[in-house]
Amino acid sequence: MTQAVLALQHINKQFGHGHTAVTALTDANFEVSAGQFVAIIGPSGSGKSTFLTIAAGLQTPTKGQVLLNGTELAAQSEKARLAYRFNEIGFILQSSNLIPFLNVTEQLKLVDKMAKRPFQKDRAAQLLKELALSEVATAYPSELSGGERQRVAIVRALYNDPSVILADEPTASLDTPRSIDVVERLANEAHQHQKAIVMVTHDQRLIGNCDVVYQIEDGVMTRQRG
Amino acid sequence: MYLGLKEMCHEKLRYTLLSGVLLLIALVVFMLAGLANGLSNGNRQAVDAWQARIVYLNKNANQTMSASQLKLADQKKLSGKQIAPLASLSGTLRTTNNHLKTTASAFGTSRTSFLMPKLVSGHQINGKNQVLISADLKAAGYKLGQKVRIGTTKQTVKIVGTYGKSTYMIAPTLYTDIATMNRLKGAPITSGDQQTVNGFVTKESSFKNAKHGDLEKLSIATFINKLPGYSAEQLTLNTMIYFLFAIALAIIGIFMFVLTLQKQPLFGVLKVQGIGTGHILAALLTQSIAMALIGIVLGLGITVGLAQIMPAGLPFVVNWPQFGLYSLALLAASVVGALLSWRTVAKIDPAVAIG
Repeated sequence: MTQAVLALQHINKQFGHGHTAVTALTDANFEVSAGQFVAIIGPSGSGKSTFLTIAAGLQTPTKGQVLLNGTELAAQSEKARLAYRFNEIGFILQSSNLIPFLNVTEQLKLVDKMAKRPFQKDRAAQLLKELALSEVATAYPSELSGGERQRVAIVRALYNDPSVILADEPTASLDTPRSIDVVERLANEAHQHQKAIVMVTHDQRLIGNCDVVYQIEDGVMTRQRG
Repeated sequence: MYLGLKEMCHEKLRYTLLSGVLLLIALVVFMLAGLANGLSNGNRQAVDAWQARIVYLNKNANQTMSASQLKLADQKKLSGKQIAPLASLSGTLRTTNNHLKTTASAFGTSRTSFLMPKLVSGHQINGKNQVLISADLKAAGYKLGQKVRIGTTKQTVKIVGTYGKSTYMIAPTLYTDIATMNRLKGAPITSGDQQTVNGFVTKESSFKNAKHGDLEKLSIATFINKLPGYSAEQLTLNTMIYFLFAIALAIIGIFMFVLTLQKQPLFGVLKVQGIGTGHILAALLTQSIAMALIGIVLGLGITVGLAQIMPAGLPFVVNWPQFGLYSLALLAASVVGALLSWRTVAKIDPAVAIG
């Protein structure tokens, strides 16, 4: 097996101190490799969000380490972690992480502006076509349907060519057919572009396309499948 | 830059309104500055035209020319170049038939003194009871060759020359010689060195020795500041202008802060994606600078436009270097205002965007 793109080893996370301390994660182990579509499934309050924030370097674990391409995130400076998130991690958030005052193409242009490089027109067109968004390339997020918005979020996450994509309940605001569509597309992108994609969800019906499934409950993470 | 400008284009109403508020502030700043300049100019234009550096007055006059009384002979206590005696009279200028009446500031000095203005028409004073009038008085209807009276005496004088615009204590000026001035004042002595004058104006001079009696030496700046009402007037208007800078800062600061609070979730999402505090602050700064520039440029345009259609009686002077400085101050206020949201932006935790 190839080296894991993202690996979490013996992660513990506690909030608070003493008798008010709450344990959100207990000895969690996780890894994902390029081309894998991994689901983390669990009810609300199970520690899914904590897992994601730690995996993204937004929070540091109480114990254990997070390795992104073999580099330990916690050892990096705040600035380096910001750069890591920008370059190496793509996000797809619950409701949509689109910027309301930028149209679909401009969402992608912004990524290039931040990276200080010219707009990759062909890449943008290619990705938009792949996710059936060519028609809405100049629409603003408020003019898109929920499914389109999440597809734009997928394009935006893929656009910067990150090592890993973290999707936090990407289907939370969608109906079942659209949810299945979005998840199929995520699986497709993982396999086609050799991306490591991690999807956090509470919906059992969506994990059919996943290569690996982790279950998380009360802060305890177990590998279910794959 | 990109983020900030794109948002402004998308939220036109919001940013147009704030630019409008800044435009109004800039307009009031420039109007007040123009009026302050106009009033200042109305008070000191004649003094500035002298290009003098020192004024000597009676030390008991509280540094005020109209309260100062000296003798022409006091000039002997001074040594230096270009020393001119000066007598002043503020009174009503009127034609002998009383058709025209104007409050004017009259100056008397020696016929060849450097204080005598450069003529535009007519000739210099070369005989008794002649006066020179400023362009302002000419515009009011006074003409060469006309006989006029000044003040309360029956003495009539003849207008023999005119010169450029000149005002002193918000009244147009006229010049005559010392003896004519003393006749206009109804003084008992109207010849010789025992005549009274109000002071001496010089470019470069000093006291000859320690025995200078009642004379007091003033810099021209002190003299101007001591013009009745001058410093109070300037201080009032300038204080208002300085307060407006603080108000501009507060408005930008509060507006940007409220917007930042409102956009916290969006900023959280940006931070998750690796677009950090620096980029977000740059967007805020871009917006506040853009709004300030719009406000300042339009404010300047409207001010200059209004200056063209203002009634002539309103003292208003556009001073470009000063307007430039005030523009920079407004710009600085908006930058500082935007930076007030720094801590709020820095404290936004990207983790809240997840879960």
